Amino acid sequence: MKRITDLGTEPLSKRQLGWLLIAIGVFGLVLTLSVELMGGGMSSGLGPAQRVALMAAFALAFVGLTLLPLGDRPA
Amino acid sequence: MNPSHSPRATAPAISSAARGYLQRVLQLHAGILIGVALIVFLAYFAIYTHYAVSLFRFPFDYDQGEGFELLDTILFSQGEWPYRDITHYPFYSSNYPPLFHLVVVPLVWIFGPQYWTGRVVAYASTLVTATVIGLAVYRGDSGRGRGRLWLATLSGLAFLASNYIYHVGPLFRQHIFMVMVEALAILALVVVTEREEKEGRRSSRGLLLVMLLLLAAGYTKQLAYATVATVFIFLFLRRPRRAVLWAVPFALATAAIFAGINLATDGHWLINTVTANVNPFIMEQMVMFSRQWFQLHMLLAVVAAAYALYQLYFERLSAYSIWFAVALLNSVTVGKWGAGESYFATAIAASCILTGLAFARLLSWTAARSRMQHLVALVVIPLLFLWQANRMFHMPTHTPLLQSVAAALGRPTETPVRPQTGCSAPRPAKSVPYVDSAGVGLVGRPPDAADREAGIAIVRHILRSDTPAFSDEAGFNLYAGREVVTNPTQLLNLHRNGAVDLTPIIATLEAQAFDTVVLRAQLYPDPILRAIEEYYKTVDLIEMNGFVYCILEPRE
Repeated sequence: MKRITDLGTEPLSKRQLGWLLIAIGVFGLVLTLSVELMGGGMSSGLGPAQRVALMAAFALAFVGLTLLPLGDRPA
Repeated sequence: MNPSHSPRATAPAISSAARGYLQRVLQLHAGILIGVALIVFLAYFAIYTHYAVSLFRFPFDYDQGEGFELLDTILFSQGEWPYRDITHYPFYSSNYPPLFHLVVVPLVWIFGPQYWTGRVVAYASTLVTATVIGLAVYRGDSGRGRGRLWLATLSGLAFLASNYIYHVGPLFRQHIFMVMVEALAILALVVVTEREEKEGRRSSRGLLLVMLLLLAAGYTKQLAYATVATVFIFLFLRRPRRAVLWAVPFALATAAIFAGINLATDGHWLINTVTANVNPFIMEQMVMFSRQWFQLHMLLAVVAAAYALYQLYFERLSAYSIWFAVALLNSVTVGKWGAGESYFATAIAASCILTGLAFARLLSWTAARSRMQHLVALVVIPLLFLWQANRMFHMPTHTPLLQSVAAALGRPTETPVRPQTGCSAPRPAKSVPYVDSAGVGLVGRPPDAADREAGIAIVRHILRSDTPAFSDEAGFNLYAGREVVTNPTQLLNLHRNGAVDLTPIIATLEAQAFDTVVLRAQLYPDPILRAIEEYYKTVDLIEMNGFVYCILEPRE
């Protein structure tokens, strides 16, 4: 298994790409929901742009999950 | 007894003969179908060129906003910035980066302020993009043997045959020029990285070229950030540290140019290219365009997505797959107010490359397995291209021959279109000699002599007085030799973002400082439209390009 210290010199593996996509997806989910909770949405409920952002974030995280079993093969 | 004459031996002999016959039939059909597919896509190219030439001859806006891009070019040709204080007369500013207009400047110096200058450059850029697509497919194919020229040609021509590329390709718009520079950047990235992996040494010069192309794309239109992201994602996957090392100087160079222009324009660059581009997001618009894009480009979309997923799970991701995924994701911005079908152009270019590469892969794979399978693939692939060609059907039908062709293909020979009446009462639908599977659109029908005459009739109204017209299109003032006043969509964008004081503009309307007002889609902010209604009255309605233009003069 590749270690985090390999980052930078070696190509990313499928598993590392999977974790990266999960991290981006979760960050996107949290960011979009935070913007809404802190009043940035300026409206009751999620706006259309926020709904699209949430769907994209969820899709990224899901694709990331499916990549985890693929191990050290280069991404 | 001769074994070959035994019943047991005869069966395989017949089977072998039948297989040989079937292979010859398949080979013949493959050749014919490839030929037919090439002819069909070349016909689309001829239709595209006909439309482009019609636009080159048309001296007014065909798509609202073209004239403002011409004005930007004129200002650059005079050494002036188009990023200005819009609250001062002539109340004009631009929201587009400068590169496309700078490229057109030499043509304006030589031939004067003509619409065809930018339209020719835009059209030529689509041809370059199609060539880049063909090259990418041919290179990718030839890596596994000899490249198939017919497949590369079909992939490139499929880009030009797209309804969306047809509609917007020959317009005086910077978007399609951006797509060309993006495609060049991605191809350069692939060539550089492949060479590096082959030779085992890095090519900083090659990567520098990629960065310069990315800068050029970004300073053609802001939407190129998707391709910038693609390049850095690809570099990050291959060698993360290298991606970061290149990202820092790239970001610094981008910021330095941005700051330089902002300084030179007293901050108007930032207001007009960033603030004015924050627009409301309309979910229904995004869904409508996405659905239409998929239905029109179904083969390209499905094959490209399947090949990208195959690479994601079973081999290394190519730059083309990442480009397609990021461009497709970025296409959701088509839901922004003011966005349109051109927002899919980058995804279409990427999908054409991936489709060509996927088919090349399929052909190589079947060739390695059995001749029969290979021949079946050779029959199926051109059939699929023909199926895609049918989905993207579009053609003008202004001659009896073209009408016969449309009828023979089971298509209508005309399309009923209701004229767009933003500023006047609704009008009944009229038959337009143009058929398009994208449906009734604002663009696509080649403008004719009647449209030109209508434009000149509007100009005659302006020439009856001494002032420029307060117009939501620049073309009439340019044709009349008058100064271009206002940019309605820019005023609207800035007004929505609370970044403009409309008082000075409304004051000139109250003073009836303009003898003529020309409206098409009423794109001005509401306070301006209310002032026009209060101080001006409609004196004529003129139809051009399917739009009813309202000509207004001061009320007594």
